[in-house]
Amino acid sequence: MSLDFLAGFTIFMLALIMVVSMVPGLLAGLESSGIDYDAVAYRTGVILVEDPGWPVYPPWEMNDLAHKGEIERIGLAVSKETPNILLSTKVDAFFNDSFFDRDDYRRLAIFGDIPYSYNFSLSSGGALIEQTGDLLPPGYGYIRRVVKIKEPAVAVINGSFAPQYTAASSNQEFIVRLDFGQLLDPTIGPAYRIDPRTEPVNVTITDFGEYLNMTEPSVTNATLKSVTFWKMDPTRPIPQFTRIPFAYNIIDSNLYTLYIGGNQNPYSLRPDGGVEVSDNISLVLKPAATSLFTLDQNSILDIRFNFDDDPSRTNITGIHHYDYNQTNVTRPDLKPGVLEVAVW
Amino acid sequence: MVNDSGQLYTMEGVAAGVIMLLTAYIVISTTSIYTPGDTHIPDMQLEQLGSDVLAMMDTPDTNGVKSDLEKFVVGDDSAGFEGMFLGYCNAKAIGADNLHMSANVTYRDASSNEIRDYPLVGPDNTWTGRESAVRVTRWMELEGNPSGVSGMDPSRPRVVLVEVLLWRA
Repeated sequence: MSLDFLAGFTIFMLALIMVVSMVPGLLAGLESSGIDYDAVAYRTGVILVEDPGWPVYPPWEMNDLAHKGEIERIGLAVSKETPNILLSTKVDAFFNDSFFDRDDYRRLAIFGDIPYSYNFSLSSGGALIEQTGDLLPPGYGYIRRVVKIKEPAVAVINGSFAPQYTAASSNQEFIVRLDFGQLLDPTIGPAYRIDPRTEPVNVTITDFGEYLNMTEPSVTNATLKSVTFWKMDPTRPIPQFTRIPFAYNIIDSNLYTLYIGGNQNPYSLRPDGGVEVSDNISLVLKPAATSLFTLDQNSILDIRFNFDDDPSRTNITGIHHYDYNQTNVTRPDLKPGVLEVAVW
Repeated sequence: MVNDSGQLYTMEGVAAGVIMLLTAYIVISTTSIYTPGDTHIPDMQLEQLGSDVLAMMDTPDTNGVKSDLEKFVVGDDSAGFEGMFLGYCNAKAIGADNLHMSANVTYRDASSNEIRDYPLVGPDNTWTGRESAVRVTRWMELEGNPSGVSGMDPSRPRVVLVEVLLWRA
């Protein structure tokens, strides 16, 4: 009697242990798809809004098509210390459908085991500014994050600077100087920092007529011979500016854009025979180019505009500092926006 | 000594074990475990949204200036606070949400050394008390006294707690 009971009870206990060990597996089937979608949307929203992505330096958004495979994670935050503050260059890169395909979004932002469909949208001021993905079906997972968008600074050198940057005996060279020691000052938070390593440098010279040499009555323009980049490291012994080797003759919109006047075609930094300037010059130096210059927090970068006329047709000269002085550089306010993530 | 009776007992024990095993298995595998109406998901979304909004209101648009949140609390600007908070909360790519809120500010009364609070934004007429509201908070440092609030120590910066109750009508 007791032996039979012992045998039966042993079998029962063994079986019970087996069943209990199967309980987590039994419960796995209870998760509903709605909860799963919301969780995936939430996770994707956190990655996009609170993470700068990987790699950080050089940032992922600088990778071209040939190096897309090096991107490990897409994040839009300026830095990991500034959640919800998005960098506009990252936003532009993220919503570029011709660069990222559907698998890229799934692999680098959603991180799902199954091929989820998605819809990402960014709106600001009541208007939709960016969107990618499919039309929303019923029953999708959703999260909405309130953000602010950081846009790059712009140095607009208009006619009001003419008294400061003109001299009769001009050497026909105008310099825009970026002192990385000042720009990357750690006391300025990442949300407000001018960082040419991650954001484009915008230099726009307008009202160029104010800088012309009016002692020559027939002058209506001047010839821009070249735009060159020079750098100096003040921490080195006998610091001096050296010209940075760069493909100045090749137009590459991934590295820079140079527009003269109302012409919609970009110019190279060393246009053949120079280009005549009568009203404005617009140069955008992209972070991809800045990363080629191997600059650090001690470097000083010069952007030098060289004019070449004999006799001189412009009196422009001097150094314009690209810094935190609002007179020199306009820094746009952080722009409020809403990022919506839908996953199904 | 094994005989027919003993074998019967053994078979009975084994059969009972199998029956109990099957019963336990069937019971466990057919039991539904209910999450409480999945309400925690919208609640989580609402909490995240409210928390984001308070954080963004506490982030100045330019370096070195006061945040909107601080200006509203110091100025006791109820309409400004409500307008900006709901503006952020209800913004969507297409259409708008229908969220409502009320807000309180909690501070230490230096004269009586007690924790007190006052309403910054009162609830509107959609509030019945039965809403599934969520509460989001943010600690913030003030450099000025909120107008109309007595008892706060004006001699130094102080910290107050802004609490917002958020619900969907």
